Amino acid sequence: MHGGHEAAEITAAGIGKAYGDFHALSDISLTIGSGEFLTLLGPSGSGKSTFLMILAGFEEPTSGKLHKDGLDITRVPAEKRAFGMVFQGYALFPHMTVEQNIAFPLKVQKRSARDIKRRVDDMIARVGLRGHEHKRPAGLSGGQQQRVALARALVFEPSVLLLDEPFSALDKNLRGAMQEEVRRLHQETGTTFVFVTHDQSEALALSTRIGIFNQGRLQQIGTPKDVYERPANRFVAEFLGDVNFLSLSSVKPTDDGAEGLFEGRPMRISAPGQAISAQFAIRPEHMVLFEQAPRDGNMLQATIGDVTYLGAETRFSLKTPGGIDLVLQMPTREVTGAFAPGRSVWAGWPANQGFFL
Amino acid sequence: MMKPSPIAVVLAFAVAVFLLLPLIAVIPVSFTPARFLSMPTGIWSLRHYQALIDNPAWLQATGLSIRIGILSSGIATLLALMFSLGIWMFRPWFSGLLFGFVLLPMVAPPVVSAITLYFFLIGLSKINSIVAYDTWIGVAIAHAVMIAPFAVVMVTVSLSQVDRRIDLAARGFGASVGQRVFKVILPTIRFGVLTAFFLSFVLSWEEIGVTLFITSIDAVTLPRMMWMGLRDNIDPAIAAISVILIVVVISAVLIKTAIAQREKM
Amino acid sequence: MTLDRLKPVLLLGPLVLFLGLAYFVPFLGVMQWSVTLPEPGIGQYGKAISDPLIHSVFLRTFRICLIVTVASVVCAYAITYVWVRGTPLQRLLTELCILIPFWISVLTRAFGWVALLSNRGLLNTWMQSLGIISEPLTMVRNEFGVVLGMTHFLIPFAVFPIASAMRSLDERVFLAARGMGASQMRTFWTIFVPITLPGILGAGLMVFVFALGFFITPAILGGGRSVMIAELIYLRIFQSPDWGLGAAVSVLLMVFVGVLLALLVRFVRPNRMLG
Ligand SMILES: Nc1ncnc2c1ncn2[C@@H]1O[C@H](COP(=O)(O)OP(=O)(O)OP(=O)(O)O)[C@@H](O)[C@H]1O
Ligand SMILES: [Mg+2]
Repeated sequence: MHGGHEAAEITAAGIGKAYGDFHALSDISLTIGSGEFLTLLGPSGSGKSTFLMILAGFEEPTSGKLHKDGLDITRVPAEKRAFGMVFQGYALFPHMTVEQNIAFPLKVQKRSARDIKRRVDDMIARVGLRGHEHKRPAGLSGGQQQRVALARALVFEPSVLLLDEPFSALDKNLRGAMQEEVRRLHQETGTTFVFVTHDQSEALALSTRIGIFNQGRLQQIGTPKDVYERPANRFVAEFLGDVNFLSLSSVKPTDDGAEGLFEGRPMRISAPGQAISAQFAIRPEHMVLFEQAPRDGNMLQATIGDVTYLGAETRFSLKTPGGIDLVLQMPTREVTGAFAPGRSVWAGWPANQGFFL
Repeated sequence: MMKPSPIAVVLAFAVAVFLLLPLIAVIPVSFTPARFLSMPTGIWSLRHYQALIDNPAWLQATGLSIRIGILSSGIATLLALMFSLGIWMFRPWFSGLLFGFVLLPMVAPPVVSAITLYFFLIGLSKINSIVAYDTWIGVAIAHAVMIAPFAVVMVTVSLSQVDRRIDLAARGFGASVGQRVFKVILPTIRFGVLTAFFLSFVLSWEEIGVTLFITSIDAVTLPRMMWMGLRDNIDPAIAAISVILIVVVISAVLIKTAIAQREKM
Repeated sequence: MTLDRLKPVLLLGPLVLFLGLAYFVPFLGVMQWSVTLPEPGIGQYGKAISDPLIHSVFLRTFRICLIVTVASVVCAYAITYVWVRGTPLQRLLTELCILIPFWISVLTRAFGWVALLSNRGLLNTWMQSLGIISEPLTMVRNEFGVVLGMTHFLIPFAVFPIASAMRSLDERVFLAARGMGASQMRTFWTIFVPITLPGILGAGLMVFVFALGFFITPAILGGGRSVMIAELIYLRIFQSPDWGLGAAVSVLLMVFVGVLLALLVRFVRPNRMLG
C-alpha cells in the first residue's frame, strides 16, 4: 500500500449536458465510492467521454451538481480539481522526456526538487520504465507511452484518476498486460478510479462496479455480477453479451420467484427480489446440454443446428420444437460425440439461473 | 505513381525559365561600365557595386530596413502569438469575427491600407514626433499592422497541429495559464513561431506598397531607396543591389533545401 | 474568478486594440469620406459608377486581372504538376524555381523585366544586333509589360493551393483509370484536372483578388500609361485631392474583394489549402 493517496468520493446528481438541442447527457445520478474502480461502459456516442470531461472539470454540465466528499465542485475548473487523467491517445508532452513528463504535475505543484526526484524515480520503477527515463515519447512503443501516461497521472497522488479508453490503441496482448497493471496500480494506490471503455470484457474483468450508458442516460450501475446476471433492461442484457429470450405463458409468482410454461413445458424460476414478467432471459453459457432429460432444474428439448468450436468453449445453435432459435455455450471438454448437428438433445439450467426482463 | 509526360516536363521547364529570366537578366546589367543603365558591351566593371559602397545612403537604408524589420516583426509576432493562443486556448464564440477583424489588413487592397495608414500617421504627427509620418518607428508600426495578419495565420496553422489533449492534460494537473503557455504549448510550436517571425521580417524588409505612402526623405528603407532609383532615370546601382539581394535569397533557399534534403535521408 | 475571466482578454486584447487603433478606426475614417466629402450623401458613388473615365479604368483592371489570373494559373498548374509528381531531381529543380522568385522582392523582379524588355534592354539590344528587328519593340511601359510582370509575380502564389489539391489526391484513382485502359492524356484531362478543380478555383480567386489591388508592378512596368484601380485611387487621394471619390472607389473595390473572398471561403475552404 502506497501512502499519501487520499481517495475521494464523488457524487453526481442529475447531471445533464446539452449541445444546442442535442442532449449528450440526461439526468445522470450516481455515487463513486472512495477507492472504487468504476467503469463507464456504453456504445460509441453514448456520452461516456462527456461525463468524464464533466468529472474532470473540462466541461461544465448544463444541469445538475457534482460533489466531492460533500463539497460542491460543479463550477470548480479542472486546474483546481487536480484529478489525474489519462487520455485516449496518451497526450504526452512531445518535447519532454519520460522523466520530465512524469515530473510535470509535481513541478506545477512546486514540490521540492528532492521530493520530485524521489517520487518520479519511484513511479518509473513501479511502471517498469527503468532505462527509458531520457527518451522522448516519439521514441517509445505504444505500451511504454501508455505506462508514461499512467505514471504521470498517478505521480501526484490524485484523489481520483480518470481514464478515457486508455487501451483502445493497443493490440490484444498488450491490452491484457496493461489491464493487469492498472488493476495492480489501483490496489497499490487505493485511489478512486473512473475508467471509460466500450469493451465489455475489459469492464467486467477490472471493475468493482460498472455504469452502463446509452444515448446519454445511465441504464444501470452495479457490480459486474449484478449487471451481467441481473441486467435492468434489455439494452444492458444484450450489450453485455448474448442472451436467449423465452416468452413464458401462465406466469404465476411463487415464494422465491415464478413459475410458468414454455412451449407447454413447466419452468420454475427462483429469482428473489426481481420483478416478475413473462419475458425470461438466460445467457448461453448458463445452459448445459444433456443427451437425456436431466433429473432436476429447468429443461427444454431442442435440435442442434450449427456447432462452432471456439477453443476452450463450444457454441451450439439450437432450435426448439416451437421454432425458437437459441444459443448455448459450454466448455469444450464436456462436449461429447452425441452433440452433433441434427441431433435432438436437452438444454438445461438450474432454477436460480436467468432473469426476468 | 503517374509520371509527368515529356510534354508536361517541357511546359514546366518553360515556366521555370520564365520565372528565372528577369532575375538572370539583372546580372549582366549590373557589371556594365556606363554611368546610366545600359547593356553589356563586353567590357565588365564593378563601378555600380562601388557606387553602393561610396554612397552611404544605401548602407543607411539597409540598416534602417533591418531595424524596422526587427521591431515590426517583433511586435507583430508577439501580438499575433498572444492572439492565436487566446483563440486556441479559450475558443470564444466570436472567434470567427475576431479573425475577420485581424485579417483585414491582409485582404484589403494594399492601396486602401496605404491610405489608411498614411492618415493614421499624419494624425499622430500632430501630437508627437516619434511615432509619426516619415519616422522609423512610424514605419515599423505601419509594417506591424500589415504583417500581423500573416503572423496570425502562421501561428494559428502551427497551433492547429498541436494535440489539444496535451493542454487538457496540463490543465488536469493544475497548471496555470502561464504554465500551460510556457511549459507545454510554446515548446511544441516554437518552430512555427520562429518561422512566423522570419516570414514577418522578410515581409517588412520587402514592404513597399505602404512604405511609399508613409515616408518621404527621412525614413528611407531599402525598397523605398530602390523605388526612387527605379522611377525616372533608372540608376544602375539598382542592378547591383538587386544582384546582391538575389544572391542572398538564392543562398538562403539553397541552404534551406539542403537541410530539408538531408533530413529526408 | 474575475482574474480567470480576464486572461482571454489579456491575450486577445493587445492585437485587437492595436489593429483597432492603428488600422480599423482610420480605415473607417477614410471610408466615411465616401459619404461625407465634398458634401454628405451618396453622390460620390453615383459619380464613381457613371464617370466614363472610372468606368474604363475598372474595365481595364478587370481585363488585365482576368488575363493575369488565367495566365498565372495555367503556368502554375504546369510547374506544380512536375513539382508534385516528377522525379526527385525534377522536384528539386522546380521547387527552387518556385521558391527563389517567391522570396525576391517585387521591386527586384519588376526591375528584372525592365532590364530585359525595355527599349534599350537586353532583348531589344540582342535582337537588333542580330538583325532580327531594326526598331526596338515596345514591351514595357504598356499593358503587355504590366500583364507580364504581374503574372510573373503571382505564379508562386498560385502554386500553393494547386499543390495542396494535387497532393491530397488518392493515387489509386489513377491506377483504376489506367487499369480500365484510359490513356495517360485521357486520365489527365478527365480525372486529374477535374479532381484538382477546387485547387484551381482557389488559386484563381486568390490571384484575382491580389491582382485587383496591385499597385507597384503596374506603376513600374505600366509607366503611367495603363492606369489600374489602385493607381486611380492613389491619384484621386494624393494628386487631385478628391477624397470623396477616392474613398467611394475604394469602398466599391473592397465590396468586390469581399464578395470574391466570400466565394473563396465558400467553395474552396482555405483551411484545406493551408494544410
Ligand atoms: N462539443 C460538442 N458539440 C456537440 N456535440 C458533442 C460535443 N461533444 C460531444 N458531442 C456529442 O455528444 C455525444 C456523446 O459523445 P461522447 O464523446 O461523450 O461519446 P462516447 O460515449 O465517449 O463515445 P466513444 O466511445 O465513441 O468515445 C455524441 O453524440 C457527440 O456527437
Ligand atoms: Mg469517448
